[in-house]
Amino acid sequence: MDERSDKDLVMASCRGDRAAYAELVRRHYNHVFLVCLGVLGNVHDAEDAAQDAMIKGFERIAQLRDGSQFGGWVITIARNLSINLVRKRQAAARTVGNRQHAERPRTESGHEDLQRAVARLPWDLRLPLVMYYLDGRSVKTVARQLDISTSGVYLKLRTAIKELHDIMVTQGDTS
Amino acid sequence: MNGPCPDRQDSIADYALGALDREQAEGLRKHLADCHDCRAYLQRLEQQGEALAALGRQVEADAEARQDKVIGVLEGVRAAPARRTPLAVGRLARLAVAAVLVLGAGIVIGRLTTPPPVDVEQLRADVETAVLASLTPAVRRDLLTQVDGRVQAALSAREAQVQAEIVAQVREDLRVFAAQLLSGTETRMDRRLAELVELVEAARRTDRQRVAKALEQIQTKMGMRLYSLAARTTDLPASMPN
Repeated sequence: MDERSDKDLVMASCRGDRAAYAELVRRHYNHVFLVCLGVLGNVHDAEDAAQDAMIKGFERIAQLRDGSQFGGWVITIARNLSINLVRKRQAAARTVGNRQHAERPRTESGHEDLQRAVARLPWDLRLPLVMYYLDGRSVKTVARQLDISTSGVYLKLRTAIKELHDIMVTQGDTS
Repeated sequence: MNGPCPDRQDSIADYALGALDREQAEGLRKHLADCHDCRAYLQRLEQQGEALAALGRQVEADAEARQDKVIGVLEGVRAAPARRTPLAVGRLARLAVAAVLVLGAGIVIGRLTTPPPVDVEQLRADVETAVLASLTPAVRRDLLTQVDGRVQAALSAREAQVQAEIVAQVREDLRVFAAQLLSGTETRMDRRLAELVELVEAARRTDRQRVAKALEQIQTKMGMRLYSLAARTTDLPASMPN
C-alpha cells in the first residue's frame, strides 16, 4: 500500500506518475461513487459519473493548488457532473413528458426495494442521506462537503428518512 | 398499521439520527414506552438506517471492481491528460515552426526581389573615384588654379582683418597711455600748487612778524618820547624806569 499523503500523490500525478493517481482513485473512488449515487439515484449512472469525475480530476489535477484537498475537490467535481446530468435528464423528461430517467433504478441483487426507494427521493435529500448512511460520513463532514450547516444537514436527513419510510411503505403496499 | 403520532414524528426521526439532547431524548423515551405506534415507527427508521448502511457496505464491497475498472479506463485515456499538454505544446510548436518557416521564406524572397539597402559611404567613395578618374589634366589645372585663387583671396582677407585688428589695438593702447599720462600730470601740478600756496603763506607769516616787530619798535620809541616830554614838564627821572 502506498503510504504517501494525498498531497504527495497529487504532486507525483502532476509529474506524470500514473501509479500515484491510481492510488488516489483507490482512496477516493468509493466516496465519489456514493456522491454520484446520492445525486443520480442508480448504480449504473453513478458508475459512469464517478468514472467521468475521476478522469476529469486527472485531466485537471494541475489546477489543484492544495493537494491535501484532493478528496473534497474530486467530490465537488463528481457532484457537479451528477447534478448537471440530473438537470439534463429532467429537461429531457419535461420535453418528452416522461418520468425522470435518473430516478429509474437499475435492478441489483440485495436491497432492490431500498435502492428504488432511495432513487425516488429528490436528489438534494438523497445526497446527504447517502453520504451519511451509505458512506458513513459524520454530519459535520456532510455539512462541510455540501457547504450547508449541520442543523441543515439534520433537517435534510430527518426529511429524507421520513420520506424514505413513506416510500418504502407505499412500495410495500403496492408490491 | 397505524402511523406514529403526528406531533412526535420529527422527534422520532431526530432521535434515530441522534440529534436530540439528553432531556429531549428522555422525554421521547417516556412517550415511546407508552406508544406502540411511535415505537414501531422508530424501529422501522432504525431498520431503514441499518439497511442503508448495509447497502453502503455492499457498494463498498463492489468498489474494488469499479476502481479497477476506472483505473483501467484511466490507463486507456491516461495519455489524454498527459498527452493533452504535449499535444497542445506540440501543436504550438508546429505552429511556431510553420510561422518561422513562413517568416524565413518571406525574408529570403524579400532579399532576392528587393534591392539591397544603399551603403552611403561606399556610394560616396565610388562617386569620388569616378569623378577623379573622369577629370582631364586641363580640368585639374583649372581646378587647382581656382583653388589657389580662393586660398589667396581667403589669406588676403585674413591679412586685412589682422591689420585692422592691430591698428585698433594700437589705438586703444595709445588712448590708455594718454589717459594715464594726463592723470600723472594733473597730480604733479596739484602738488606744485600746494607747495606754492605753502610758500606764499610762509612769506605772509614773515611779513606779519616784521610788521609786528616794527610796530613794537615804533610803540617803544613813541613811549620814550612821551615820557621825556612829560619829564620836562614834571619832576620825573631823566630816564624811564624799566
